[in-house]
Amino acid sequence: MSPHNQTLKKRFRFDWRSLIEKNVEPINARRHKPDNWLMVICAIMLVIGLVIIYSISPALGLTSGTSGSYFVERQVLAIVLAIVAFLITANIPLDQWRKYYKYLILAAILATMVAVVLPVNPNYPAHRWVRLGSLSFESVDLLIFAILIWMAHFLALRMKKGLITNFRKTAVPLFALLIGVGVVVAGIQSDLGSTGVIVIMITVLAFVAGLPFRRIVIIGGIIAALTVVAIAIAPYRIARVETFLHPDTNCLTTGYQECQAIIGVGSGGIAGLGLGSGVQAYGYLPEADNDSIFAIYAEKFGFIGSIILLALFGALFTRISKIADKAPDNFSRLFVVGVLVWISIEALINIGAMIGLLPLKGITLPFISYGGTSVVFFAAAIGLVYQISRYTLYNVPGSENSLTRRAGINDYSSHGRRIGRAYHPDLGDRS
Amino acid sequence: MANLSDRLPKTPVERIKLISLLISAVLVLFGIRLFYVQIIRYSHYKQAALNDQLEQTKIPATRGLIEVKDNNNIVPIVLNQKLYTLFADPPLIKHPQVVAEKISKIIGGKSTNYINQLTAKHTQYIIIAHQLTQSQSNQIAKLNQPGLGTQGQDARVYPDGDLAAQVLGFVNPNGVGEYGIEQAMNKQLAGTPGELKAITDVNGVPLAASKQNTQIAPKPGDNVVLTLNIGIQQQVQQILAKEYKSTKSQGVSAIVMNPYNGHIKAMANYPTYNPADYASVTNQRLFQNAAVDYPIEPGSIMKTLTTPAALNDGAISSNESFFDPAHWVINGFNIHDIKIDGGPREQTIASILALSLNTGATWMLMQMSHKGTTVINATGIKTWHDYMVNHFRLGKLTGIQQGYEASGYVPPPNMNDPSIDLRYANTAFGQGVSMTALQIVTALSSVINGGTYYQPSLVDELITPSGKVQVYKPKILEKNVVSPNVGKELIPLMEGVVVAYLHGGSYFMNFPNNYIVGGKTGTAQVAKPTGGYYKNIYNGTYIGFVGGDKPQYLIVVYNIKPNITGYAGTFGGQPIFAAIAHMLINEGYVTPKS
Repeated sequence: MSPHNQTLKKRFRFDWRSLIEKNVEPINARRHKPDNWLMVICAIMLVIGLVIIYSISPALGLTSGTSGSYFVERQVLAIVLAIVAFLITANIPLDQWRKYYKYLILAAILATMVAVVLPVNPNYPAHRWVRLGSLSFESVDLLIFAILIWMAHFLALRMKKGLITNFRKTAVPLFALLIGVGVVVAGIQSDLGSTGVIVIMITVLAFVAGLPFRRIVIIGGIIAALTVVAIAIAPYRIARVETFLHPDTNCLTTGYQECQAIIGVGSGGIAGLGLGSGVQAYGYLPEADNDSIFAIYAEKFGFIGSIILLALFGALFTRISKIADKAPDNFSRLFVVGVLVWISIEALINIGAMIGLLPLKGITLPFISYGGTSVVFFAAAIGLVYQISRYTLYNVPGSENSLTRRAGINDYSSHGRRIGRAYHPDLGDRS
Repeated sequence: MANLSDRLPKTPVERIKLISLLISAVLVLFGIRLFYVQIIRYSHYKQAALNDQLEQTKIPATRGLIEVKDNNNIVPIVLNQKLYTLFADPPLIKHPQVVAEKISKIIGGKSTNYINQLTAKHTQYIIIAHQLTQSQSNQIAKLNQPGLGTQGQDARVYPDGDLAAQVLGFVNPNGVGEYGIEQAMNKQLAGTPGELKAITDVNGVPLAASKQNTQIAPKPGDNVVLTLNIGIQQQVQQILAKEYKSTKSQGVSAIVMNPYNGHIKAMANYPTYNPADYASVTNQRLFQNAAVDYPIEPGSIMKTLTTPAALNDGAISSNESFFDPAHWVINGFNIHDIKIDGGPREQTIASILALSLNTGATWMLMQMSHKGTTVINATGIKTWHDYMVNHFRLGKLTGIQQGYEASGYVPPPNMNDPSIDLRYANTAFGQGVSMTALQIVTALSSVINGGTYYQPSLVDELITPSGKVQVYKPKILEKNVVSPNVGKELIPLMEGVVVAYLHGGSYFMNFPNNYIVGGKTGTAQVAKPTGGYYKNIYNGTYIGFVGGDKPQYLIVVYNIKPNITGYAGTFGGQPIFAAIAHMLINEGYVTPKS
């Protein structure tokens, strides 16, 4: 064996321990007022979703053969659970989540296995759901949440050790994770949409953590190639791409949902038909309460309403990225960026499909769509971001330095305020 | 390159900014796209939505009734009734066995018959039964069974069974009249359907109040009041049915007409059909009203038209006599009488009709050619043709409200035809010329009434849904067909025929003295499709009148190929006429002499 070979081998040896390293430092920044706008924006979006579901509940009742109020009741239950999840994640300290993230990963793996093993039925046609009696949840949401914490933790450690550019310690484990997700989520669960979300999330986190551009481009190339392969080997995915490219010619067959979605959006006009007047939900547009809810919303509230919703999402993303900007440490920064990517990618993929800019994926619109699992896990993620927003650092102009400094830096307030007191630029009490 | 990598964001915060920027850029892009889709392309997508969502349904108009006058009352003979079609949406039926049994309890039939339909695959609409009554439909509705429903539709009801079936026609499942009055008067009977525009769900069920919903109420059809006399019609039908059997005929037709306005009081054929059950009729011919669309060579009843033509032309006078050679030789062919009348001898106009002398009819044509000679020339041919076609309208459609009609055939006066004189020597007594029963009875009416050709009519008046009456005035198609005197001269000539036949042994031609009855028999040879005539097959025809001071009804009878011994006209046509005339007198339909 040549020495060169040995180096190669050493280089590619999978250091599995690196995946579950335990090295947690508690945040030692000062606690201050959280970013309540985060909560307000999410609450508004949950209410919008609930109102839409309520307004189309007669149509949902007709098409599903159940009472329309069923959907409203389930969504109210989901929102209650979401509030509980938010309270839990907002209050259990971040270092506890870091300390016990292994159990979260174990739970996610277990849930995914259960979902894969459970037989499918007409209501749950793919291996994506874990069902307990009348309750069911999509395992992939838990998986994304777990991977998010794990990735933030892993990359923060690599940053701290200066190993972020180290191929064996950083890139190889990441690849292993990507391949695992690809096999299970894309392969077994046939959930290319969620796979895309996870892959983009991991890539962006690695990018933010400092992975060189060159590596990102290579990873991007590999992902693109794998995507092409995934599409090429599944005829229905080819059909979906074909549908996306020529939606009008496939209106009555494979492109039906795309066509009806954009008809719903377009027929909303400037001001929309009004809350009680939409028609597309009455059986024309499939998944009216779920994947297609944006088109239903746009039909009812028109261009003005659609822009308001986009602006709400824009405001949410701005708040989250601001928190990421001022995050007290690398773990929380990476976690917040991960949440930003998760929510924004799902929202953009969903809306993009409804307005004919992206192919249709089975992905929900965060906080708006009917569906308990997604609402609960987004609320949980926002809860953690909310907690992190209590510890943001605001005093240093040119905050790119904040990572290099110790967290106690806000002892030197440029505003001449009492030492040790942090403030929030929007919510802080300055009187 | 180095320059570029220097500019790329390096620190996490820079990179977060880049990502935020990308997300914002995509949101802006989406906003632009929304502007394009929702504002610029709004009308396109609005139209696309309406194409899917806006359902336009026709609300059928109630079809008008068909009625007749009975004394002073108007009596409907064709009514509407709602009948229901039972349909199912098989995937929604969870327990087909149970449902099938419930259905069979309500509408009859074996439940096993329904199971197949209820379990049909790949369909969401299957018809289980037709023609359910209102109460059956209500019982189905009470089952409250998802996937089972009834659809009402107007159906025609015939309280008098097969009364005037071929005159009436029927209404097909699409609501369109076929044959007879239903076809001819379809526009008036059908009314105007209303329209319902509604935004519907994907299954076509209208959604609650939407600005786009509009409704135009249907306009019901008019009621059509026929000229038929229901009593006469009924009895004529009975007479025809009886005579059809006793003469072993292939078909009989009769028309009773008021000669003074062209109104048809009865028009019937046998065999006929039951319009309520038209769908089970296999012989389409039964739907057709033979009296208006089955032209035949009429035989000697044609003499009742040749005679007034010759009289009006001045070629003959009614009290004239001539020497009958018993046969003419024309173009080398013999024209001879159908019965042996004692050979060549002196005959009168009255005896030409009473004895039905073909040589006499040909002689009339000769007189029209050149009075006092026995040649047939262009003048005679053209004159006869002019009377038949331009005065009596033979060879032309009458315009009767039946939706279809045959025009018959009068050979054109083509003088280049070397056998034209032989041809016309025959047409003068009703061979080589064809007409429907309606055409000849209308033509003779114009002679009897003093010279006015009224368009024959089955429709007396229309009554709109609001009760407005629109009278169909008798339409005069020809005036001065013949002079009034000709009719007056023809009446006693035809009365003489009846008397002659009575004395000749037709005892059923004995009528009370205070009525006038006149007529003429016809025994017509039947042409082979290949040319020439059948040897022993004849059509028996009869045309005549019955009245008091003047003829009140004209009656024509066509008996197609009766299987009897003796002359078809005498024993196949005449008895039917006699039965109808007796019936009219006995039932008080005829006003006796004052």
